[in-house]
Amino acid sequence: MSKNSREEILHTIRKGLEGVGSEETFEERNFQSEAQEVHKLIDENQSGLITKFVGELKNVNTNVIEAGGEEKAKNSLQYLIKEKELKSFAIWESQFLKEINLKQELKDSRLKVITAKNKNRIAKADIGITEVDYAIADTGTLVLIADKNQPRSVSLLPPIHLAIVRPENLVRNINDLFIILKSKLGASEDITSCMTFITGPSRTADIELSLTLGVHGPKELYVVFLL
Amino acid sequence: MGFEEVRFEQDSEKALRNKSLQKALVNVTNRFRSARNKASEEVPDWEDLRTSAREIKKETIENLDKYLLILEESVKRTGGKVHWAKDAEEASRIIVGIAREGNVKSVVKSKSMATEEIELNSSFEDAGIKVVETDLGEYIIQLAGEHPSHIIAPAIPKTKEDISKLFSEKLGIPHYDKPEELTKVARERLRSEFLNADMGVSGANFAVAETGTIVVVENEGNARLTTTVPKIHVALVGIEKLIPHYEDLSLFLTVLARSATGQKSSTYVSFITGPKRSTDIDGPEEFHLVLLDNGRSKILASEETRESLYCIRCGACLNNCPVYRKVGGHSYGWVYSGPIGAIITPQLMGIDKAPELPFASSLCGACHDVCPVKIDFPKVLLELRKNVVESKKGGTRVLERLGIRLWRFTVEHESIYKITNKLSYYFQLPWKGSNGKLNSLPYPFSRWTDQRDFPAVAKKTFRETWKEIKHEAG
Repeated sequence: MSKNSREEILHTIRKGLEGVGSEETFEERNFQSEAQEVHKLIDENQSGLITKFVGELKNVNTNVIEAGGEEKAKNSLQYLIKEKELKSFAIWESQFLKEINLKQELKDSRLKVITAKNKNRIAKADIGITEVDYAIADTGTLVLIADKNQPRSVSLLPPIHLAIVRPENLVRNINDLFIILKSKLGASEDITSCMTFITGPSRTADIELSLTLGVHGPKELYVVFLL
Repeated sequence: MGFEEVRFEQDSEKALRNKSLQKALVNVTNRFRSARNKASEEVPDWEDLRTSAREIKKETIENLDKYLLILEESVKRTGGKVHWAKDAEEASRIIVGIAREGNVKSVVKSKSMATEEIELNSSFEDAGIKVVETDLGEYIIQLAGEHPSHIIAPAIPKTKEDISKLFSEKLGIPHYDKPEELTKVARERLRSEFLNADMGVSGANFAVAETGTIVVVENEGNARLTTTVPKIHVALVGIEKLIPHYEDLSLFLTVLARSATGQKSSTYVSFITGPKRSTDIDGPEEFHLVLLDNGRSKILASEETRESLYCIRCGACLNNCPVYRKVGGHSYGWVYSGPIGAIITPQLMGIDKAPELPFASSLCGACHDVCPVKIDFPKVLLELRKNVVESKKGGTRVLERLGIRLWRFTVEHESIYKITNKLSYYFQLPWKGSNGKLNSLPYPFSRWTDQRDFPAVAKKTFRETWKEIKHEAG
């Protein structure tokens, strides 16, 4: 049944396009060298990118904590725990978060750690903590790529999402990002199951066009920018 | 959405008399229009982006068979399954079949025009499977038992009082009157639906041939939940949603967000490639891509109207259309409304089912000016009008033909033209109203004056006035 439909659809398309189908006109691009160029341009103006990124985050209802150093970042997290009365958390087991030992720090503050394996439990966590794979300065966008240490639910199910961003995560714009992603795609053929762009907290304007935050995803988004 | 025949004339009259709808339409379209204008002006090379987007779509559509096969291969490579559906009925059967095989009891859905097109919800219900819309606007519309009226803001004619009453009746809760409170109620209700659902059904804004990635753009997070939490994910995607390369997304996401809502970036964009990998901690175990034809492949055969398939469903043409802004989405009779509905419904459903729609336009071209892929709406509309006239159904009326012949005869003979001009001034006098315009003419001209006044014929013709001016100027 399905096999026939496949042939039928392709047949109708080919018949409709008879005499049209042009040879592919897209020009060949060398993404490896384009990516090198992009990295160079990013490095040349990192401080400008930081300013732009932080400004854009604020435009989209994101709370930004600019922290000079790990200790300051941890202090601001302690402050947040008290202010929001956080009791439990879910966290990525990613490389950088392990390096700064954030999980232990939170456990020491008597927060309960919740694994992302169980959807019902992680939905009850007070906060989800991630880092980012990239951050887009132009639009204030966080880019999170799922893998075995970086489950998708951590930035999705808890009511607060906190992301730690470092200057080396920054790219200028979405164009830079796709050049870099594409250059890596060529190198390793396996593409991950899910990449997510996050620009501000969950929002809707479906009732009388009135902006309301936190309809499905996190109501609050914190970015700790580690300078 | 039940489709028999479009009754644009009848339904638009109803819409014009609905005062709260008229107010809501002005609010929503003005809001989206000014946001889009601002967002597009911020981008210095906006026009170049539109041109590039159009070129990529053109290249893709003109090689659609090739790119579909590449997409199929890529999805399979990453562990997903590909299904081909030639029409609505087959698409529903495939998706309900996947649900049955997975022993699915309940389904969550994120906003998708394609699933509206195939009336998937009623197929699930017939199969005894619970299905819940999770986009807030769509959830409201589903509770009310209605259909969406705008691509981006489906529930827009409803006031918060309407929604408060609806929630109270259907969910058995007290009356809440603030949007925040109503949103919170929906969040709690829908959260438990997400956690209990066995299957999530989404659409896609784009499908990337090269990588097999489907891209879902949203603000609420319900599409992320739909594609992450349940163990099965099904994406229903029209075959025209293809783009060739991964990097093309940077261009298309830029023009989509800015054209649709005027955002620089939508809140969430999910790029989904296959099911969860064996080492991933969460994500669906199964990923199914259902490719929907449902009349699209037939559109390809016409060179004049082929570009209808370039559409990326941003809704900018609706917000800028002087007709949509008055008559609203439901007048277009099917899931697609506004200028895009006027060109796509007659082509997908058959021109005999919607002969009025190509005429539901003043051909002002505002839609063409804002379209991110530069679809030449006036050109396509004229072509479709020609098809309507040539088909039996929309054949010109005897009276109309006679009128046009008379007109032709008159303008071809100068002396008769002059006399007619003079005479029509005197003939019109019985109908001339106090505002100096014609308020109610007899049939067939009443079809105009029932809705609005007709400008009166001036006493002096243009030629006479021109002569006088020249004379005065010496």
